[in-house]
Amino acid sequence: MYRYDAIDKEMLADRVQEFREQCARRLAGELTEDQFKRIRLMNGLYLQLHAYMLRIAIPYGALNSAQLRKLAFIAGTYDKGYGHFTTRTNLQLHWIKLKDAPDILEHLAEVGMHAIQTSGNDIRNITADPHAGATADEADDPRIWAEAIRQWSTFHPEFSFLPRKFKIAVTASPSDRAATKVYDIGLRLHRNGDGELAFEVMVGGGLGRTPYLGSTIRKHLPVRHLLSYLQAILRVYNRHGRRDNIWKARIKVLVASLGPEGFAREVDEEWETSDKARVDLPDTELARIRAAFAPRDFQTLPATSTAFEAAKSNPAFARFARHNVKPHKIPGYALVDVSLKQPGETPGDCSVEQMQAVADLAERYSMDEARVHYEQNLILPHVKLDDVPAVWKALDAVGLATPNRGLITDIIACPGLDYCALANARAIPIAQAIARKFADPALAERVGDLGIKISGCINACGHHHVGAIGILGVDKKGEEFYQLTLGGSPEANATLGQSLGPALPADKVAGAVDQLVEVYLRERKGEERFLDTFRRTGLAPFKEAVYADAH
Amino acid sequence: MKALTGNRLDDGEAVFASGDRWVPRFADADLFEDDQAALAAEAHAKTELTVVVDPYLIDVIPSDNGYAPLSFRERVRALGPTNKPEHGKKTEGGEAIEALLHAHGAARSKGRIELIRRK
Repeated sequence: MYRYDAIDKEMLADRVQEFREQCARRLAGELTEDQFKRIRLMNGLYLQLHAYMLRIAIPYGALNSAQLRKLAFIAGTYDKGYGHFTTRTNLQLHWIKLKDAPDILEHLAEVGMHAIQTSGNDIRNITADPHAGATADEADDPRIWAEAIRQWSTFHPEFSFLPRKFKIAVTASPSDRAATKVYDIGLRLHRNGDGELAFEVMVGGGLGRTPYLGSTIRKHLPVRHLLSYLQAILRVYNRHGRRDNIWKARIKVLVASLGPEGFAREVDEEWETSDKARVDLPDTELARIRAAFAPRDFQTLPATSTAFEAAKSNPAFARFARHNVKPHKIPGYALVDVSLKQPGETPGDCSVEQMQAVADLAERYSMDEARVHYEQNLILPHVKLDDVPAVWKALDAVGLATPNRGLITDIIACPGLDYCALANARAIPIAQAIARKFADPALAERVGDLGIKISGCINACGHHHVGAIGILGVDKKGEEFYQLTLGGSPEANATLGQSLGPALPADKVAGAVDQLVEVYLRERKGEERFLDTFRRTGLAPFKEAVYADAH
Repeated sequence: MKALTGNRLDDGEAVFASGDRWVPRFADADLFEDDQAALAAEAHAKTELTVVVDPYLIDVIPSDNGYAPLSFRERVRALGPTNKPEHGKKTEGGEAIEALLHAHGAARSKGRIELIRRK
């Protein structure tokens, strides 16, 4: 894991002190809200419906036990005893007081964390495949490159006032677990025909009011040129991106208006004339970062574990093993999914007790590592198969062993109108109502792989466009209504969902999902997932079932 | 009928104007029948830099034995998040909270519209 050096620590300490003074000036009335708002947002502090919200960056979703314990301490001391993991692998605290914010940032700095660039029109927290360093199918460890981008983009003076916010995701695997196609820039590491490491560079993906999937503008960018090429993309965006209309300011609109080929030409012209050597990462620096992610000291173990197999005689454990335990690149190890989706609870919420439990398990069983998945769950990435039964028992004791990863109750939901000042409608109670309907684990398992994603407004923090069932909250003269889309997917062959029909009132949504599932179970052939059946049948049978009463 | 609301500067809590104070309970809020008086109170609130952030007027309707904000968003602010029964102002219970819980009005929130306009 990357550790802050003396320069990083000094920079953070200075920043905390600066913000402490700015907060004092605001509280004393020396700064107006208009003057202060931009400053607090630069430090990740938003004002929402009930309190301030602090958005803490978790670069590429990686946490060690000390960091997770610190987050638990902050949530217990300064909030109401829980935090909310988001689709950007950040942690949001929803009940923060302005007067406490500088102390919280000081605590975060102690463990090499902060909330810088979690707001504003800059390059936001860099995300990556949460299976990095543990999966057999990666071409390289994407955290190395995500960390290089993080260092390059943090406080980058040229890119601190972009037309709009800017998000970059990195994967190194053919199975996209980082939703790279819906990012401003998605990077996929792979090896080209000569065995050399290269990036496929996708640009202009994004959800929100105008959803787009990213377009590949370069198939094989040699990795040594990553930063100069990113600089060229950001320069073209900074030069031509619209600043007159907030709804047209994201890079996806520029890429769409120039066309991917036209945009790529602009980038190439900029790139060819730039002094690449000044920007690209020197080999020594790359080696320094790479060393922070050196392969762990894995033991040589048998590929199968007697203890793990024996524990499957307990049907509850067997179900957990089927859905929440994933293969590791090293024989005898596994990735263990920690579901934050117990039916009836708030998706992504994690209590102090739960954070502490995961921190303890990470330290004892997972080489001191935990990960945040953008689907609002946690992962213990390096658990010996022999230890999985003990980890399961400990997770179960704190309500974290729900065996539902990828299933219908593993719902993404943004905070919505329960917290967010921008929301049109609530997302969480809709998720709770659906999850309760499918709370029986046997039923959820029978339905199989099905991603439901819910956003409380068109900004799409809940990724509804790429949900197999997407649900968008809208405001109809002040009343909450929900538009359903079907067939979206964030995977490598990503698709955007298609609208099912007119929006439904809140109390009809869970029932409609039930009807959609019934159609799927009726229509599915063989091992088809919901998405496969939908792609085969199209919208018609689903639409007919949900809107039958209306005809 | 209108009430004046905003978020308290130091802790962000949703508060309502009541005389020369800002109070957390909607039931204690001043209700303005006269639009001019409401606008004057809003204009004054905008000068209270160290007390309240972004004050704005909300429409209020009768409900049960009391009153409630017309907009659902404003009722969420006055009650707390609906996903956590244990958090927010609703935990206080009583008639005034019941009036908020049982209100049925609907209107777009001026608070949200203003926020988006300023973005």
